[in-house]
Amino acid sequence: MLVLSMLVELGYIVENNILSDDVRAMVIQAPQVAAQAEPGQFVMVKNESGSTFLRRPFGVADVDRERGRLLLIYRVAGKGTRELAGLEPTMEISVEGPLGGGFRFGEDGASDGCAGRDKGGRTLLIGGGVGVAPLIYTARHLAELEPDNKPLFLLGVRSADELFWQDYLKDFTEEIMVTTNDGSAGKKGFAIDAMPELLEKYDISHIKICGPTIMMEGLAKLAMERGIECQVSLEKRMACGIGVCLGCTFEGKVSGKRWKICHDGPVFPAEEVFER
Amino acid sequence: MNFERLATDFAGIKMKTPVMGASGTFGFGIEYKDFLDLSDVGAIISKGLTPLPRPGNNGVRVAETPGGMLNCIGLENPGIDGFLRDILPRVRQEAPDTAFIANFSAGTVEDYGMMAAKLDVDGVDGVEVNISCPNVKEGGIVFGTDPRAAAAVTEAVKKNTKKPVIVKLSPNVTDITVMARAVEEAGADAIALINTLTGMVIDIRTRRPLLGNVTGGLSGPAVKPIAVRMVWQAAQAVKIPILGLGGITCGEDAVEFLLAGASAVAVGAENFVHPDAVVRVAEDIDAYLEAGGMKHVSELVGQVRL
Repeated sequence: MLVLSMLVELGYIVENNILSDDVRAMVIQAPQVAAQAEPGQFVMVKNESGSTFLRRPFGVADVDRERGRLLLIYRVAGKGTRELAGLEPTMEISVEGPLGGGFRFGEDGASDGCAGRDKGGRTLLIGGGVGVAPLIYTARHLAELEPDNKPLFLLGVRSADELFWQDYLKDFTEEIMVTTNDGSAGKKGFAIDAMPELLEKYDISHIKICGPTIMMEGLAKLAMERGIECQVSLEKRMACGIGVCLGCTFEGKVSGKRWKICHDGPVFPAEEVFER
Repeated sequence: MNFERLATDFAGIKMKTPVMGASGTFGFGIEYKDFLDLSDVGAIISKGLTPLPRPGNNGVRVAETPGGMLNCIGLENPGIDGFLRDILPRVRQEAPDTAFIANFSAGTVEDYGMMAAKLDVDGVDGVEVNISCPNVKEGGIVFGTDPRAAAAVTEAVKKNTKKPVIVKLSPNVTDITVMARAVEEAGADAIALINTLTGMVIDIRTRRPLLGNVTGGLSGPAVKPIAVRMVWQAAQAVKIPILGLGGITCGEDAVEFLLAGASAVAVGAENFVHPDAVVRVAEDIDAYLEAGGMKHVSELVGQVRL
């Protein structure tokens, strides 16, 4: 595996677009971080002119290495993200990253050492809310390595207002199944409600999930019952993002080890996070 | 950076600069090696060690607050034995010429002595006795708010080590000078202040405390004026050197602490935001010295004009 080194880069905003009421897409010119970030990794950003103290963590939604750009898609949820949403093109933003280890690819979810390709059947990516963001890069990565075996995507969102994700995903996925909580698009309900149909239709050997914990728990248990290799990307309040503050640790269910989500994750095998 | 101007002997601990990474915010130092040259760090002060491994507190453990943050980590650490076996050798390999200070706490005076004895080994340049963690019973706060108990801990530690002993004081007391004098008389070689101030955040939607432990320790720029005031008060009360910390984000902040009477400083929460902060603060101090035509950083210590 490539040995990565973390760094702090002063980048600038290229775009900061409105995708929905409270979701924004920020493109940052940050070539050094963009050159290294892998699918599933995250960055900590800070508006140095803003009023908040700590950085804010965001999964890398995609990179454009040629142009040296990072895509972050985030929900405006509090003071920090509200200030980020107010940044305009050419304004500076500090980017620390790439952080964490990202998704593992290969036979059993361990890195296969070269191509970063899932082997066996098909990969299903499941994203809930802004948890979809890091899976865009993951989908593109998989699709580019195996154009004949693009991943499937299960998109769990609140309503039809959040279907913008499909525009980011459609080129890199075989099929996008949509569930909405209010039934305004796709299947009404939660992501897990679409699983019986997907499992019936496809030979799924790998599942990668990023979304709310409650959603990931149900899906991960289903995957474990079926013996499908499953990885989940976790999120928890953190101050540093580099394994120092210990705000985001948890005890591994199988290993009993104390893991740091920021440093040892954010991606973990499902069985390490949730009871079978 | 002019190391001749910055080299500091703090209570017998030889450091290339007077700027340390504060306990709990600097890991064991090696976590920062991508961001700075560890040999430019004055001293690494370890995450707080305890007699046994600790998983820390449950629930939310960090929260941003105006000008800073609250934490209630609860002294998560691998325990003294795990540290000595797995971590210290790596630290010495990756930062061979950087001073390393082990921070620790315990639940009894006897255990403080035991910890000091275990840490009296090569590779540890000094110890920082934590009697001020507000988040766990075994974090020593019961010792840090009672001058007699603080003195008893200090004596137990001194008896069990040849290393310089720094006692880290809590700001959650009525009169910091009482605590400072108590540990000085008990033999402390230096004091460090301040640890975090106890604080609380309530989520008004759920009407529940945001932090899993209900209260937490406040750090960051918000606490700096309190820390400078307490360093200044302590400096009037004791002769032993003072390690000043609390909300330092830049060289100017550090110079305030030096003028107030600190002989060295530590950068805490700012490390989370700018992981090169310890070195940047030292460079800033150096620039201030150069601009003022000073030959050594010690010329600033206690020079506040009243």
